[in-house]
Amino acid sequence: MFHRIFVEEWQRWLNAIGILLFLAVFIATVIRAMRMPRSQVRHLENLPLQDDSNEPPR
Amino acid sequence: MSTAPAAQKTLIQFDDEIVRKFMLASIIWGAVGMLVGVLVATQLAWFQLNFNLPYLTFGRLRPLHTNAVIFAFVGNMMFAGIYYSMQRLLKVRLASDLLSKIHFWGWQLIILGAAITLPLGLTRGKEYAELIWPLNIAVALIWVVFAINFFWTIAKRNEPTLYVAIWFYISTVITVAVLYIVNHLSVPTSLTHSYGLFGGVQDALVQWWYGHNAVAFFLTTPILGIMYYFLPKAADRPVYSYRLSIIHFWSLVFIYIWAGPHHLLHTSLPSWLQSLGMIFSLMLWAPSWGGMLNGLLTLRGAWHKLRTDPVLKFFAAGVTFYGMATFEGPLMSIKAVNALSHYSDWTIGHVHGGTLGWNGLMAAGMFYWLAPRLWKRPLHSVGLANMHFWLSLVGILLYVAAMWVSGITQGLMLSATKDHGSVLAYPNFIEAVTATLPLMHIRALGGGMYLVGWFMLMWNIGKTIVGAEKQDGTVEVFIEEKAPAKGGLAEGLISAPVIYTLLIIVFVLAWGALHGIWAGLAFVGVVASVLFGFLHQQDSKSGWGHWYETLLANSLPFTLLTTVAVLIGGIVQIIPTIVINKAASIEGTRQIPYTPLELAGRDIYVREGCYNCHSQQIRTLVGDVLRYGTYSRIGESIYDHPYQWGSKRTGPDLAREGTKYNNLWHYKHMRDPRELSPGSTMPNYPWLYTQRTDVASLESKLGVQRLLGVPMPPMDKEQIKLAVAKQSEEIAADLKTAGANAEPDREIIALISYLQKLGKSEPVGTGTKPAEAPKTAALP
Repeated sequence: MFHRIFVEEWQRWLNAIGILLFLAVFIATVIRAMRMPRSQVRHLENLPLQDDSNEPPR
Repeated sequence: MSTAPAAQKTLIQFDDEIVRKFMLASIIWGAVGMLVGVLVATQLAWFQLNFNLPYLTFGRLRPLHTNAVIFAFVGNMMFAGIYYSMQRLLKVRLASDLLSKIHFWGWQLIILGAAITLPLGLTRGKEYAELIWPLNIAVALIWVVFAINFFWTIAKRNEPTLYVAIWFYISTVITVAVLYIVNHLSVPTSLTHSYGLFGGVQDALVQWWYGHNAVAFFLTTPILGIMYYFLPKAADRPVYSYRLSIIHFWSLVFIYIWAGPHHLLHTSLPSWLQSLGMIFSLMLWAPSWGGMLNGLLTLRGAWHKLRTDPVLKFFAAGVTFYGMATFEGPLMSIKAVNALSHYSDWTIGHVHGGTLGWNGLMAAGMFYWLAPRLWKRPLHSVGLANMHFWLSLVGILLYVAAMWVSGITQGLMLSATKDHGSVLAYPNFIEAVTATLPLMHIRALGGGMYLVGWFMLMWNIGKTIVGAEKQDGTVEVFIEEKAPAKGGLAEGLISAPVIYTLLIIVFVLAWGALHGIWAGLAFVGVVASVLFGFLHQQDSKSGWGHWYETLLANSLPFTLLTTVAVLIGGIVQIIPTIVINKAASIEGTRQIPYTPLELAGRDIYVREGCYNCHSQQIRTLVGDVLRYGTYSRIGESIYDHPYQWGSKRTGPDLAREGTKYNNLWHYKHMRDPRELSPGSTMPNYPWLYTQRTDVASLESKLGVQRLLGVPMPPMDKEQIKLAVAKQSEEIAADLKTAGANAEPDREIIALISYLQKLGKSEPVGTGTKPAEAPKTAALP
């Protein structure tokens, strides 16, 4: 296995920054999703199930 | 004292005509795309099916297949699903019938344009981005029409909250526009030809940033939106966990955009980008499987319905294939696994698990669900739909299993060594081709079964809708005369959570980029922002939660935040690479620019789609280096517009082809590859021996190359003609000496000149020890 040595020092930070940013987004998202009021969840999850005039003939 | 606003009951009729149109277009184009797919699959088993005709060769038809199934089949299916579901979720008719019609007819004209131009060999030479520049502009314009109609409809909605399916659609509309425009930036040389703005490693990075995210935001996120609407609808129960769907969305859109470099592992791409692509690909496992489980668990308590309901069968199998494909993708992004799987049929199997399994089965399920509702008549034959399901499923499994076995066989054989790793175990590439030939037959069989299943769908839906009454859905809504304020952009963006988050991001970036006292201050800034943010949040309590609730009901700030989430990854990857490529020397080796004849030959190479089967990138792997020579350096393709690294080796790598064979070998090989490589499945190219090289266009092409920064000498028309004539006659004379008579002005001469240039580069000083330059050799 060969190893490519071409790398610049500052670029090492980009991977770490990317993961940190994702963790920030992920934690914030999980907190908000978990703290969402039950009534709101119920309203949203039922949106696709509301009456549809397109029901096919049987 | 306040008074409630007066509400008026209104009946809204949906625009389902546009849904019917997109659905039928998807069904028809799906059949075309799959038919071409089966043809190209059989060409890999029987080269005779290329028919010695330029318009029917694998290199030209494979892009037609991929573009047809992605943009025509899935594209039209996606628009049908989006337009049907968004009207119902938002309780509003589409904003503009005119825009809907322009969208539909414009998209079909683009597809027709692609179906004509691709077999003619008019291409940009980049996978899934082959369409010529006038069609690129048309795609961008029609996408803008779609976006206006889409966001205008959201703005007019009568349902204040945005269901998660709409979030997925928003991410698609925004991200596809950004990806498509950036990857198609080109400078035209004529009405049908252009050179891309990016070259070499930049082009490779931008291409796979686009290519990977075309899969993500064209083939995945809209279909996830469709899943979140149609699956609960078909199962008649809400999604298993709405909270999980929120986490699924934000994690997916944020992570996906970073993963593109996993298509370029072990190549000349800088190592940090390869690591970035691999890490974020592995992270994709979590949200993808969260989404899959959310979809499958929606069927809890309804599994018994799968016995009789073909719609649910298709949806359940489609979501399962989503899980399989999204497990396999990150697995293949692990560098050690990728060393085996990349450039092999394993990738093809992976892609088809996703497209046939996820996209195709979800499309079939949606169409079987929609047809009775849009035409007010029960499905013609439930039994036939069930038979379609089983035929498709067996077809996919045959296809995918054959490609797995073939891919692993290729990977193992082509990297196998003996004598302590010093000699290749299978030095002749053809050995891997012939060993996997039976698997090509199984692949064609599997694809053929899937196609027959699709014909069953066409028949079944055709019998359902012919003579049936069209039906447009309606909904009764209470429209308040004075709608409550939904909050604006300012409320969504200029708020404490956003400001603190931005501060933290800026300070973290500064901390990484700065040195000494400034880095210390930046670190203090990070800590202070976190601390003050926490204290502020504790003080205001419900205020921050209110911000998030506002966001859910505000499409504009929501869209902007989604855009930021998907753009960050692209910016972090692409900008540093652009900076690098401006360096005077790249790994101690720099490509020698093409002569006019070689450039003409390269355009023939691109026209014939050689990149579909041949790579031009020797990876940092023992097997590659032993087989093809020292590994490729960044500088060796720095002037290639477009880059031609490829993604599949049906034939061997060509990065060092210029040092291997004489002109006569290439002359004979292009006429009949089997004369020199018995067992080869490469098509014959007889037309290259009769068609004349296009010299007239070279002046414009050279001008654009120079404009893009390629250091070609300035030449006028006469100088170009003289240079072409001189080099052509040298090659023709060499061929004549060897016993072959070729006119100097034929395309084969230009192509030979290009093939003989591959791998020619010059060493340049770097201040450190220069990397070993590849061998150069004079023209034979």
